[in-house]
Amino acid sequence: MTATATAGLGPLLEVSGVTKRYPGVLAVDDVSLTLGTGQIVGLVGKNGAGKSTLIKIIAGAERADEGHLHLNGEPLELHRPHDATDAGLAFVHQDLQDVGDLSVAENVMMGLGYPRKMGMFVDWAKLYRLAAEPITRLEADIDPREPVGDLSVAKQRLVMIARGLAQQAQLLVLDEPSASLTDEEIEHLFAVVRRLRDDGITVVYVSHRLEEIFELTERVIVMRNGQLVADEPTESLDRSSLIAHITGHEHAQTAVERRASRGVGGRPDTEVVLEVEGISADTGVHNCSFDVRKGEILGVGGLMGSGRTEMVRAVFGADHRREGTVRVHGAEVSDKHPSESMAAGLALLPEDRKTQGNIMDFSVRHNITLASLDRHRARPQAPFPSGRSEKQAADRRIDRLSIATPHDRQLVRLLSGGNQQKVVIGKWLEQGADVLIFDEPTIGVDVDGKEEIYDIMEELADEGKAVVFISSEFSELVGVCHRVLVLHEGRIVGELEGDAVTEPAIVEICYSQH
Amino acid sequence: MSEVDSIQAPSPESGGWRQDFDLLKVISRFGVIITLLASILIFSILNDRFIEIDGIRTSLNLASPLLMLALGLTVVLAMGDFDLSVTGIQSAAGAIVVILIVNHDWSWLLAVFMGLLFCLVAGSINGLLVSYAGMPSFITTLATGLILIGTRYEAADGRNITGAKDLPAIYRDFGVGRPDPWLELHTPVWIAAGLAILMWLLMSRTEAGRYMYAIGGNPEAARLSGINVKALRALGFSAVGFMALFAAVTSTARTASSVADSGFSTLLGAYAAAFLGAAASKRTLFNVPGTVLGVIFLQAVDRGLILEGYSTGVRDIAKGCILLLAMAFTRIGASRQ
Repeated sequence: MTATATAGLGPLLEVSGVTKRYPGVLAVDDVSLTLGTGQIVGLVGKNGAGKSTLIKIIAGAERADEGHLHLNGEPLELHRPHDATDAGLAFVHQDLQDVGDLSVAENVMMGLGYPRKMGMFVDWAKLYRLAAEPITRLEADIDPREPVGDLSVAKQRLVMIARGLAQQAQLLVLDEPSASLTDEEIEHLFAVVRRLRDDGITVVYVSHRLEEIFELTERVIVMRNGQLVADEPTESLDRSSLIAHITGHEHAQTAVERRASRGVGGRPDTEVVLEVEGISADTGVHNCSFDVRKGEILGVGGLMGSGRTEMVRAVFGADHRREGTVRVHGAEVSDKHPSESMAAGLALLPEDRKTQGNIMDFSVRHNITLASLDRHRARPQAPFPSGRSEKQAADRRIDRLSIATPHDRQLVRLLSGGNQQKVVIGKWLEQGADVLIFDEPTIGVDVDGKEEIYDIMEELADEGKAVVFISSEFSELVGVCHRVLVLHEGRIVGELEGDAVTEPAIVEICYSQH
Repeated sequence: MSEVDSIQAPSPESGGWRQDFDLLKVISRFGVIITLLASILIFSILNDRFIEIDGIRTSLNLASPLLMLALGLTVVLAMGDFDLSVTGIQSAAGAIVVILIVNHDWSWLLAVFMGLLFCLVAGSINGLLVSYAGMPSFITTLATGLILIGTRYEAADGRNITGAKDLPAIYRDFGVGRPDPWLELHTPVWIAAGLAILMWLLMSRTEAGRYMYAIGGNPEAARLSGINVKALRALGFSAVGFMALFAAVTSTARTASSVADSGFSTLLGAYAAAFLGAAASKRTLFNVPGTVLGVIFLQAVDRGLILEGYSTGVRDIAKGCILLLAMAFTRIGASRQ
């Protein structure tokens, strides 16, 4: 099958009546859709809506129980992932599936067979030349000889796209391709996607970031509970109607509406809980000072790479501070070990709940009690955790945070992203922290889950906790924060409070720094 | 799409495969135990002497030092570290104790105390290098293990140090000893059982044990939850040293000598036992009861094959195959997810 086969004639891919059942779950429920050539199509839906199963079926990684696939009018039989590749379908997954130690060229040409000399030796010169071609098409500044592991995440994704081009892909599926990319890198990615579209390639773009869907796509497919619930031109939708499709709720609140309805104003007139004075760290944090009051939600905005995560890690003592002091309730906190910050009442909910927040192979119960295990002893003098006390604590948090889990012994790995995040929150509530620092808590969390996390942060503030909230989605900050700090290159370059907290104002500060 | 699509991870098998799917599940979960029971059954049919109680007692006695070593390894393995120096520590400590008693007329108690000190220092050095200096545990302990084996070799010109006459009876009792009146088991079995219970309590019933598994699951998340990751990892290596002393004392007491041996096959046996134990556990975690089961399994196979008159080579091949089989069982489990 070649790329030029039937461009422009009829649909590229037809999915008709595809159904996939797992025990107890109807993952994909009678989905039919057609994809033409040269389109950018957004695929959105909550976690568990069936997007990934549908993509796996198209990729040949799962077999549909019912329904058919047609490619260029011919039945498409997929028995293994390789069949999909051969048919001209390429997939770039969020977790990079390249081989880090191999060179860019080896990764690009993987699966196509490397060119050979004398029948057995790899013809490196030719390999590099062949691989350079799709990379040039992407206008990417990447040396084919470089090991992929040394590249930035953005460039690694481009390498995966280049692999698809080398395989003459007609359909490219990008799964959350903008995750952990800087804004500039996202712009380049968008340019690449548009160019591929102009070359006649159809791109399916999967993302939770609705801004990107609106900016990039021409058509949006929405899935909910395994069904295809909307398939419309992007221009006929607006943000709230799209959210309504995704959640199934009539009306979705915008950030500004949320702010107004909750009466979020300036910072409360209460005592200061956290004081940060002139901290710097070798991770790229320069002379940051701020404070947070009891009951306040302080937002931290800035572009990717602006040093937000690094700043709060230095505050928590996850990284060492070169200078500056951190005080909680007036008492200075050392940066020797996170346990010292915890004892003072600080909690950090890290950016990546999978690699830093939870022990994925621990149960919900054991994660929730991990930071406060010494308070669940059967007898106070002996370091033996009491299962009963732990279970009570876990059940309390599961109930309070509405963590969707069949029971407290469920492995956290098996929960959805939003619920995993709630387990992290539960751990710190159980630990009893006064200052909770949320680093990108809503990444990869679906629309409903995000709302729940905002609600939790607001409740915590109402109970008198001090909350610090880092986000790349500035609308989130507008929805819940009394005050927002804006960072740039590790420095605090702006501060907005009360009515001045608006999305344009945050964006303005971010982009006026050059 | 980065998330698992539903709360319960769906199995990729469709409804029609239900029957086979359940069988696979049973095999992956209980494969190791089923194989153990099957081996015991086969060996007892082949030879009545396999289930003779005296023979079993001797077998348990022989397996005791191996269990002690494997218990130490279970602790570091649970935290994601390796310790390849454990038999080096055992061999050097055994030589120290025997030499002090035989050549220097030390009292056995003092000599064992020196041995303990040595083991703890050696273990702590491993711990400092790996945990605090950040060196990879596999290579680091390979290196320290080589140094210890080499030192032991040079200290006695590569010879065994025998002390049949000079080792006091009380010391030699640690090797076999008078059997207890109830189960008629020998002293090393009781020591090993006591250590196993101690380690089981530590790993599965204490805060420290929970933290160790947390470190094994995700060291960074553990650190950010306030757990002292470095100290616990270092402590794990000291625990290996502690266990090595018991193995050193019981084995030198049984043979009344310190044997000049690289300890290579013992080392592999101890790892095999720990890995078998993990394969037998529900979530494939290293755990004390599993390690005990692993040691018993390996010893049973050894004994069964010896009774059938097979040589060392055949026995090693059999043990290798069993380990591969156990890993295959856990892969069946893993590939379904």
